[in-house]
Amino acid sequence: MDAALIARQGAVSPVPSSTFSTATTLKASTSSFSFPSPTSYPPFYTLQPNLTTRAKQLTYWSQLVVSYAQYHRLFKLSLSTPPPGLFNSPTLPRSLSPSDIRLLLDWMSEPANGSKIEWIPAASRITNSETCWVYWKSLGEWADELYAWVVEETGQKGAVLTVYELREGEQTKRCAWYGMDEDLLKKVLQVLVKRGKVQIFGQDEEAGVKFF
Amino acid sequence: MASNRRGVGLSAFKTASISADQYARHGAQLRSNHADALANQLSVFQAALHNFSITHAKDIRSNPTFRAEFARMCNAIGVDPLAGSNTRSGGGKDGSKGGSVWAKMLGSSVNDFYFELAVRVVEVCRETRAENGGMIAIGEVRKRVEKGRGVGGGMQVTDDDIEQALKSLKPLSGGFDIVPLGFSKFIRSVPKELNPDQSIVLEVIQVLGYVTVSMLQANLGWERVRAEAVMSDLVTDSLVWIDTQAEEIEYWSPAGLHQAG
Repeated sequence: MDAALIARQGAVSPVPSSTFSTATTLKASTSSFSFPSPTSYPPFYTLQPNLTTRAKQLTYWSQLVVSYAQYHRLFKLSLSTPPPGLFNSPTLPRSLSPSDIRLLLDWMSEPANGSKIEWIPAASRITNSETCWVYWKSLGEWADELYAWVVEETGQKGAVLTVYELREGEQTKRCAWYGMDEDLLKKVLQVLVKRGKVQIFGQDEEAGVKFF
Repeated sequence: MASNRRGVGLSAFKTASISADQYARHGAQLRSNHADALANQLSVFQAALHNFSITHAKDIRSNPTFRAEFARMCNAIGVDPLAGSNTRSGGGKDGSKGGSVWAKMLGSSVNDFYFELAVRVVEVCRETRAENGGMIAIGEVRKRVEKGRGVGGGMQVTDDDIEQALKSLKPLSGGFDIVPLGFSKFIRSVPKELNPDQSIVLEVIQVLGYVTVSMLQANLGWERVRAEAVMSDLVTDSLVWIDTQAEEIEYWSPAGLHQAG
């Protein structure tokens, strides 16, 4: 992995279990994200024809997408409205073409490449999906973090919380998942359900979640 | 010379053999004197070197400038620090002693240093092979080795150290070669011979950062077909990256990937 990327990730995001999350950097402007060195290398924005080279290129791209999403706390990526600046070079008149972006995301979604994204199924089966989840933390990691916060840090074992509270409650303001998409949070909760740590009652926003 | 003055009697034979004998004895004496003096000097020197290396072993390992000076000193007096480490695998001419001068002098710690470095260099070459096709500048390797992987994993080294380390890999015939290209030296970690055209193009790329087919045509007077063939070979060998968003396809050196700005 690119050391520069690691260094930046380390600098920007606190350790997963910490409640002192990126809340303060939430509204940080695009310019303060420091792009890794490949983004000022013109060929980085052209999909390489040589497959060995391409694999390396996609690895770097994957790291960039993940750290960008983490920095800006993006949970969902949309192809029709990609985040500004991510696929354009900050310093050069170069950009990754939409078809290459799709190829990159397809590559990232494969388990062999870390399952860093997951396509959100499109409404109709005919069209390709246009949106995906970006897992700068895996579902399992989110589940661990959520559970640790509820049970260990706030001592609410056995209590019933609503999904709304978890997403946007006063208490969770400092948590990394604050403002997470409801669907994604539900996926995280499903992981905990499977582990037998959580029970979900009711539907939608009023759904109650009990932690064991 | 002496034949003209040689007597004609039988005694002449005797005289000749006596003088030859005397010459030989004198010569032998001179030789043994020389050998004794040299052996004496050598043992004094070895003792000095030994003492020196014991007192400074830490510096030699940790301080690159100091190590370079030390290596230079050894070179000047004709001691190859790594020589002998090769003969160990081949049975060793000096039998049980084996090992290099370094190993004997320094308790193999400096030798280990180079072996350790060699391992790191091989790792760097392997890690980056997909992006540079197995050709990497020594300076780039040095930067990566110095950065290290984990906390405190970096080593302070010089380009010379890296070359020295690669020499220690020779007996393994791992296919690591040092190839001069343009102004700097490259480590080639794949068994691949560059043809003259490819070498020229890589030299140009190293200086300018990138080339295009028409640049090659204009500056080297090549036919278009020739330039295109060379470039497509280089792409196949993953030695260059392409940028299709410029006016003409540009072929870039992989080294630019990690240079900020």
